Amino acid sequence: MNRRVLATVGLTTSALVLAACSSGGGSSTSSSAAATSAGASAVPSGSASVGASGDVPAFQPEHQGGTLTLLAKAAAGTLDPKVNYTLQFWQLYQATYDGLTSFKKVNGADSFTVVPDLATAIPEATNGGKTYVFTLRPGIKFSDGTDLTTDDVVASFQRIFKVSSPTAGSFYNGIVGADACLKTPASCTLDGGVVGDKAAGTVTINLTAPDPEFLYKLSVPHAAINPKNAPEKDAGNVPIPGTGAYMFKSYDPNTSLVMVRNPNFKEWARDAQPQGYPDEIDYKFGQTVEAAVTAVENNQANWLFDPPPADRLAEIGSKFASQVHVNPLTAYWYMPMNVNIPPFNNIKARQAVNWAIDRNAMVKLYGGDKLAQPVCTILPPGFPGYEESCQYTTPAGTTWQGADLAKAKQLVQESGTAGQEVAIVVSDDEVNKAMGEYMQSVLTQIGYKASVKPISGNIQFTYIQNSKNKVQISVTQWYQDYPAASDFLNVLLGCASFVPNSDSSINMAGFCDKGLQAKMDEALKTEQTSFDEANKMWAAIDKEMMTASPQAPIFTPKLIDFLSKDTGNYQFSKQFYMLVDQLWVK
Amino acid sequence: MWRFAGKRALAAVLVLFAISVLVFLIFFATPGSDPAARIAGRNASQETLDQVRASFGFDRPIWIQYGLMMRHLFIDRDLTSFVNRGAQVIPQVTQAIPVTLSLVFGAALIWVLLALVMGVWATAARGTAIDPIILILGVIGVSLPVFWLGEVVNLITQSRLHDSIFAWVPPLGYVPLSDGVGPWALHLLFPWLTLAVLYAGIYARVLRSEMVQSMNEDYVRMARAKGIGETRVLLRHSLRTSLISVVTLFGLDFGALIGGAALLTEVVFGLQGVGKLTYDSLTNFDLPVILACVLYASFFVVFANFLVDLLYAWLDPRVRSV
Amino acid sequence: MTTLDSERTQVTSTPTAGPWRTAWRDLRRNKVAMGSLVVLVLVILVCIAAPLYASAIAHTDAFTSNVNGTITINGQTISVLETSSEGLGLGVNPIGPTWTNQYFLGADNQGRDVAARILYGGRNSLVIGFTSALLCCFLAGIVGIVSGFFGKGVDAVLSRGLDVLWAFPVYLLAICLSIVLINSTIAVGPVRLTSGSLWLPILIIGIIYVPYVARPVRGQVISLREREFVQAAIGSGAPDLRLLRREILPNVLPTLIVFLPLMTAINMLTEAALSFLSIGVQPPDASWGTIVNDGVGLLYTRPWVAIAPGIMLAITAVALNLLGDGVRESLDPKAKLRGAA
Repeated sequence: MNRRVLATVGLTTSALVLAACSSGGGSSTSSSAAATSAGASAVPSGSASVGASGDVPAFQPEHQGGTLTLLAKAAAGTLDPKVNYTLQFWQLYQATYDGLTSFKKVNGADSFTVVPDLATAIPEATNGGKTYVFTLRPGIKFSDGTDLTTDDVVASFQRIFKVSSPTAGSFYNGIVGADACLKTPASCTLDGGVVGDKAAGTVTINLTAPDPEFLYKLSVPHAAINPKNAPEKDAGNVPIPGTGAYMFKSYDPNTSLVMVRNPNFKEWARDAQPQGYPDEIDYKFGQTVEAAVTAVENNQANWLFDPPPADRLAEIGSKFASQVHVNPLTAYWYMPMNVNIPPFNNIKARQAVNWAIDRNAMVKLYGGDKLAQPVCTILPPGFPGYEESCQYTTPAGTTWQGADLAKAKQLVQESGTAGQEVAIVVSDDEVNKAMGEYMQSVLTQIGYKASVKPISGNIQFTYIQNSKNKVQISVTQWYQDYPAASDFLNVLLGCASFVPNSDSSINMAGFCDKGLQAKMDEALKTEQTSFDEANKMWAAIDKEMMTASPQAPIFTPKLIDFLSKDTGNYQFSKQFYMLVDQLWVK
Repeated sequence: MWRFAGKRALAAVLVLFAISVLVFLIFFATPGSDPAARIAGRNASQETLDQVRASFGFDRPIWIQYGLMMRHLFIDRDLTSFVNRGAQVIPQVTQAIPVTLSLVFGAALIWVLLALVMGVWATAARGTAIDPIILILGVIGVSLPVFWLGEVVNLITQSRLHDSIFAWVPPLGYVPLSDGVGPWALHLLFPWLTLAVLYAGIYARVLRSEMVQSMNEDYVRMARAKGIGETRVLLRHSLRTSLISVVTLFGLDFGALIGGAALLTEVVFGLQGVGKLTYDSLTNFDLPVILACVLYASFFVVFANFLVDLLYAWLDPRVRSV
Repeated sequence: MTTLDSERTQVTSTPTAGPWRTAWRDLRRNKVAMGSLVVLVLVILVCIAAPLYASAIAHTDAFTSNVNGTITINGQTISVLETSSEGLGLGVNPIGPTWTNQYFLGADNQGRDVAARILYGGRNSLVIGFTSALLCCFLAGIVGIVSGFFGKGVDAVLSRGLDVLWAFPVYLLAICLSIVLINSTIAVGPVRLTSGSLWLPILIIGIIYVPYVARPVRGQVISLREREFVQAAIGSGAPDLRLLRREILPNVLPTLIVFLPLMTAINMLTEAALSFLSIGVQPPDASWGTIVNDGVGLLYTRPWVAIAPGIMLAITAVALNLLGDGVRESLDPKAKLRGAA
């Protein structure tokens, strides 16, 4: 994963990393996936299932203590868990906040499993899959000493809408009463949607339609449970008390973020919220990434968040190889092409780009084949619905082996767009800029007058979404929220995701094909009954999309975690990446 | 004198006003500067965008937004950032000021001393080989890109030779004076040297050329004719009037540096000063912080030039009050 | 009689040389200045010969990415961007200096020949650096002289204008321009500026540094104004323009000559910063500043990519400064009268 990108964009709450939801299609007005289907359970077959505890290794008290020092180039915006949408802070929220359910905090594949957290158990959905009744665990306190009650749960769900969480309209619009809350957030009550019974200690959630992914949505920080007196607007830099093993002590976005042990925490479910090892976690901001790498090498800090710069990779991969961990990510880098303006409103021109990109060269610019793998599909390898295929390789096959410049040139000629000016808009950080420069060369070779326009990373992401800016082609990335194929296909290329003249229009290609949209809606519906069936449909849709070629997928990245030599117990969760509070500093 | 100060104060307000308006206009003229989508969060719905826009007042006419922002900055003093919601801008700036002041004062001391030594020596040694050599060294210093120089210094002191010669160099970052003069100075040593190298050459060059010119002036020749020794002529007579250009430049540079012009040095060495704050706010397009930093910097530019103008009278007695 | 005759012939036979001729003659005698002139001419010639170097010597295209390219050295074929083979095999490094005709200084992160790019880059750097410095000194001379000489209201307005200029947030303007110019062009008179136009950095840098030169000039003029010979000239009723030309300008000119090479060096570096913000020299074009920018990202593995253009910059700056010194001295009438100095 290129967290360089995250670091540059991740300053605001609109950073990269975690994509929008699957069934919501990225817009509150979309017809959500919710076609009713009798008997849909809370646990769709074929999905990451609900599991029992037991895989989290036992706590080793001899490693308890010490201060963990983390480095990042910059902070990630607001600390409010309902608003922040960056990986950088979601990684920390695992240790400080809990939802009714949560992803298992464990190393490896099991980390996609949903386990009960503040709820005692995961209930079966009743009422045709529309009602969940959670029993709240008794005896849990917030870090400010107050007791957790059902009132806090109800207030937290209302708060999602009151603070205008970015996923309010995409993840949680299926809750009864959500429509009214989206229209007038200030007076949100979610009447009939989230009902607390204080005497019985239960919380009932009613949906307007069955949602196979609802448990995932309950497990992300936007659904974390905050005290009922949490502020009704974005809390900004003021920490909100939580139930996790750690609490935020202070936050200054220019200098540092400090977490300390939650004095009121008693471990209740080791797989949902395990006891942590360091006594204090210091997250320091402001150093350049080069300086941070040197600091970790010199054992002055334990870990850095940003991806190491290109000229340090060889060094850390050889001299410090034992301190480096590389993990694949369900994400990809791609180039959306605007299908509504020339030259890429012509399908041959778009296919030419897919033929012309030497994905090996792009992999080299990213850091080599140990860090990235070429792809020709929109869904990343290992993802539900992924089927290996490649329509743009020579020699022909299912994996990408080589580009075909001659064919690309021919297609450009045939399309009649040769000689047109093309501007490639990229982020101005090192890697993105290098890719932009390379693409400028490639597009020039196949017959365009290409130029590369690097702009500040924090602006580029919203800039390329707005159709007013007439961006023809750009380089960008997409990461999963949780494992669902619609998360990529329907969000990035669905008609509802294209909003003209808006900074929030994630379908950057502006692609809207009625036929393909109908197929996607069908696949979403099929998810209610059988994920396996649906995944087959998604694979077929992926292939059709690649033929229409609104994007040019480039590669799927891997994530490097570089730890100092005194840091131990590295655990990698596929959902939230390195488990920060499980690191040993003693 | 007081009338002079009064007039200059009024002019300063006008300058600050002009700059604030320019910053505002440039910001809103930039396509993609609308912060609503960035604040709202990735893939936020259109309703959320509109709500965010309304809560920040982005939907109001630009002069009203300007007025509100100025009021929050100067009168209410509770201006908040576009990027870090709720984070007040003024404390961010005041926290950063001591860091920049420490960096700039130390570097200025070093480069002024260095420039004086180099300039006077070069003048005394003109005609010999030492003169061009000093000039070459100075100009090389000016030609070095500061970011590159800083990274090279870090490469050597923190990475390659950190275990041997430079083991005494502390990790990057700022340590406040309250933690002890020793650690404070040690952390700032290399940033001082890096910044000083850039300016010493300019000042040495200008000083030397002014002094060489003044050596031909009548009053210097008169001093020599009176039998005053060469050194005294150099230091007493020639140096003082040659300082006008140097002082002018110093006013410009020092004023700009205190305001945050040393931003690349601060970035490379991890010092959270006003320069770094400005740099971060520019890359984030955080208008309130940009505005605060630019106005802060402008104030010092104006103030420094004002002091320099006052100094003219003292430096050159023939100049009556300006 | 013979002695008188010979004296007369001696007196009349030597033609009196004009002031420019004298200056040139003095300059020729200044070995340091002459040496610098030679160095400068060499640098300029070499940069002009960039296409020749690229095609005939290095056999390379300095502007097309060559990420997957290979070269043959001593019979061995190696990749221009080689994946690291040590340890975990992370990272890709461009080849280092080969010190042969191909990739003399090594490759940059796109696999292009650094030496060829430095030569091409020199053209842009020299043009931008020198033109903007010329513009700056010219404007600053006018502003400084007018402001210092006339004083009062004129001085107040011009000086405050200089304050606004010096405090102006140039980086903000550059970022704004770079985004505006993605899709449109700006018209300045008859010239249409795109984001890659060299006139943009020339104008921007030339104008923002005007205070840096104008204020010292103004200070000088203020002190000159109070001197006896100027007061005398004013008293005798000499018109302002003649005063400025006769008394003020010759005394200010040496300062401008000193600043010109200094500003050239500073401007070449400022151009690097502007290019980083996408104003001016755009990829795949190069300037010494942009190559240094690229090189900083390769500092830990291929330091030469950043060092070499820095050396070229330094050489040019030093040569310009030494030459400038020589020119100033040879133009200075008082210098000829000095004794021991």
